[in-house]
Amino acid sequence: MITNSEKLQFILAGVQKPARYQGNEWNAVKKNHSGVRVKMAFAFPDLYEVGMSNQGLKILYEAVNCHDDLLLERVFAPAPDLESKLREYRHPLFALESGSPLADFDAVGFSLQYELSYTNVLNMLDLAGIPLYSSERRETDPLVIGGGPCVFNPEPLAPFFDLFILGEAEEALPLVLHELADLKDKGAGRSETLMALSLLDGVYIPGHFKPYYSDEGLLQDLEYLGPPGRETVKKQKMESLDQAPYPTAPVVPYIQTVHDRAVVELFRGCARGCRFCQAGYIFRPVRRRSLQKIIDLSVKLLASTGYDEISLSSLSTSDYPHLDSLLAELDQAMKGEQVKCSLPSLRLDSYSVDLADRLHRGRRGSLTFAPEAATERLRRVIKKNIDENDIYTALDSAVLAGWQGFKLYFMIGLPTETDEDVESILALCRKIRERYKAKVRGSFRLSVSVSTFIPKANTPFQYEPQITLAEIKRRQQILIKGFRKIKGIEFSWHDAETSFLEAVFARGDRRLAPLLERAFHLGCRFDGWSDHFDFSKWEQAFSESGIDGNFYACRSFSYEDFLPWAHLDCGIERELFVKEHRLSHAEVEVRGAADDPH
Amino acid sequence: MIRIKFLFDRTEKLGFLSHLDLVRLFIRALRRAHLPLAYSQGFNPHPKLALALPLPLGVLAENEPGELYFTEPVKAEVFLKELGSRLPEGIHLKQAFTADPDEPALASLVDAALYRAELRDLPEISSQWDAQLFSQALLRLLEKEVILAPRRGKKHKPEYKNVRPGIIRAELKNKNSRTTAVELYLKAGSRGGISPLFLLEQLAEEAGNTFFTAQCWKLCRQGLYRADGKLIMPLPEGM
Repeated sequence: MITNSEKLQFILAGVQKPARYQGNEWNAVKKNHSGVRVKMAFAFPDLYEVGMSNQGLKILYEAVNCHDDLLLERVFAPAPDLESKLREYRHPLFALESGSPLADFDAVGFSLQYELSYTNVLNMLDLAGIPLYSSERRETDPLVIGGGPCVFNPEPLAPFFDLFILGEAEEALPLVLHELADLKDKGAGRSETLMALSLLDGVYIPGHFKPYYSDEGLLQDLEYLGPPGRETVKKQKMESLDQAPYPTAPVVPYIQTVHDRAVVELFRGCARGCRFCQAGYIFRPVRRRSLQKIIDLSVKLLASTGYDEISLSSLSTSDYPHLDSLLAELDQAMKGEQVKCSLPSLRLDSYSVDLADRLHRGRRGSLTFAPEAATERLRRVIKKNIDENDIYTALDSAVLAGWQGFKLYFMIGLPTETDEDVESILALCRKIRERYKAKVRGSFRLSVSVSTFIPKANTPFQYEPQITLAEIKRRQQILIKGFRKIKGIEFSWHDAETSFLEAVFARGDRRLAPLLERAFHLGCRFDGWSDHFDFSKWEQAFSESGIDGNFYACRSFSYEDFLPWAHLDCGIERELFVKEHRLSHAEVEVRGAADDPH
Repeated sequence: MIRIKFLFDRTEKLGFLSHLDLVRLFIRALRRAHLPLAYSQGFNPHPKLALALPLPLGVLAENEPGELYFTEPVKAEVFLKELGSRLPEGIHLKQAFTADPDEPALASLVDAALYRAELRDLPEISSQWDAQLFSQALLRLLEKEVILAPRRGKKHKPEYKNVRPGIIRAELKNKNSRTTAVELYLKAGSRGGISPLFLLEQLAEEAGNTFFTAQCWKLCRQGLYRADGKLIMPLPEGM
């Protein structure tokens, strides 16, 4: 079962950061492979440091491994130096816990968090010796499963996957694996297995759907080929977070990861409904964890991991209704333990600043806020309901509390954006700097990061085009030139080409699969990392596969269009997206309390 | 404050941790054990734990010394049991003693380190190995008066330093046994030394066989020594 470990030691001794591939972390679960009914490898198509920060991995690791008859091991995308060694020595990609080749597992499940990891998915399959296309897999090959936010439109990946799980998988995945165990015992073949699994809620078998396109190249229809009653796939969600399995003893990495701390999820979903934000829609409805449960989980987590920092996470942490009492009780529970508490995703208001102030210890870093757009008109369009006064009130309190550094996030290319909106980013930042540079003790630090709007499936803006690549660059130039004239602001912007590519895949269909395969063969890997991203290879892949990226990224979808993800029910009526989309163009202001989703 | 010194082994299971990873591992294990680790005073308190000499990434260890401070008395046996059971496979806590807080820090005692490098047991390695060639290369290397090594962190404007005086002893040990090994006794510590990994690379270069990079060797640190040649932390009688 275990591959030649001396050989692996030799290979790993020759790569950067070999601890990424070493395993043996605290709380890692090692099970005897012959003692379980089904073995699955959880594959994260990015580096260890990124994947180990993902909460979904931790939750599913617990949700599967808590069953004695199931096993879930981890594997991450190898960095290019290890990839070339694995190929040179013909060593198959292996799971961290046992060192077993991926091909030895019954299932390999990919966590699909962002579109720019897709080439890594293909690379990992290839390194594992698993055929890329579902149709080419043999009876002995593992089932290739996909999960995560990208499954809300997984169509560009559809031909590579045997099945997807739509929505939250902590209940669905163990059910799928147990069913798989029974089917294995019965000696069911591949297609029989997929037929049977498709009857489980939330399971999407892409091979059971066949697309048809019109002469103009528009998606016209999906023919359903599976067992009756499963023509649409329903998103899975936990009814109550207090009852949900939670990883109170997660694997503790040795090397520093992106989020190297204990995490307790306060609530899932977000009631704000910003129109560009996919997470705000696909994780509905809002489900809160009770205060007592949060305290209980925090105490257990810290005891089992030894972390000295705990993060209270959610999509909008200041929206948790009992945050004040929660912090007070946490403080009490952790007295004398040298624990630091952090709150990500804070709202732009003085309440949030007060919270950050209460929690902070030691050196003050910088506070991050996301106004997203710089004019009130545009913020109304995207439903980011803050006005300029809110920004100043929040910054006033922060400066008063002693912060000197701030990070502001904006987006360009939002629907209806004009040059005036773009220039307003400059004006607003200049105003902020003028207002505070004299007020802070020491030096006032302001950094501004600007990304590009990407229309995503299952948002009101799913109908909107992305601005063209040339237009992204032109608007970025306005900012680059403008910020050059403003002293003391650190300006950064997202690469235009990666944003374009993300938009292509976010609303793409199955015709993009050959493009992905081509890009993978041309050597595209880690496309989300600017040091690896090579757009010239992608341009070659587009031209060789005869695909026009603009058709996907820069096209408006009409309300009547057959959307590639139409058969995947995200739990929200199409009418809501249409209504919200119409409202956005009417620039209607929605003030005060966020609307109540469900 | 209570001072405890300890000895641990590191095996291949966790051979690829950096020094900082290893320190973090100990601190987290101590927190899991709820042992009363002392923290430094100040704005950013640091746990008072130190390993005698950073253990390079990829190097294993036998009887590697470390020390720490507690705010309350903890018996050495309790420490061994409580911490030992919360360390991952790959780090094995072997010995612990309470120590006089006024004695000098372990790190300040380190003058030299003993390493043993064994050739990895792989067909592609043993088939290329030429004992004669490497034994002559080692002799030539030791005859040199100057071996220049680039100083750390000076990539853009490299500066070199002569590390030959750092080699106290280096011997090939493959005469009669099946395992090929090199024993290296090298200067180490704050007063400067030579990296065993660098020395193995130099050996391959001198032999004209650059296949034998450091990754072909399983390298283990077997002891840290004082200037008088004694172990900085000797094992008690009978160990």
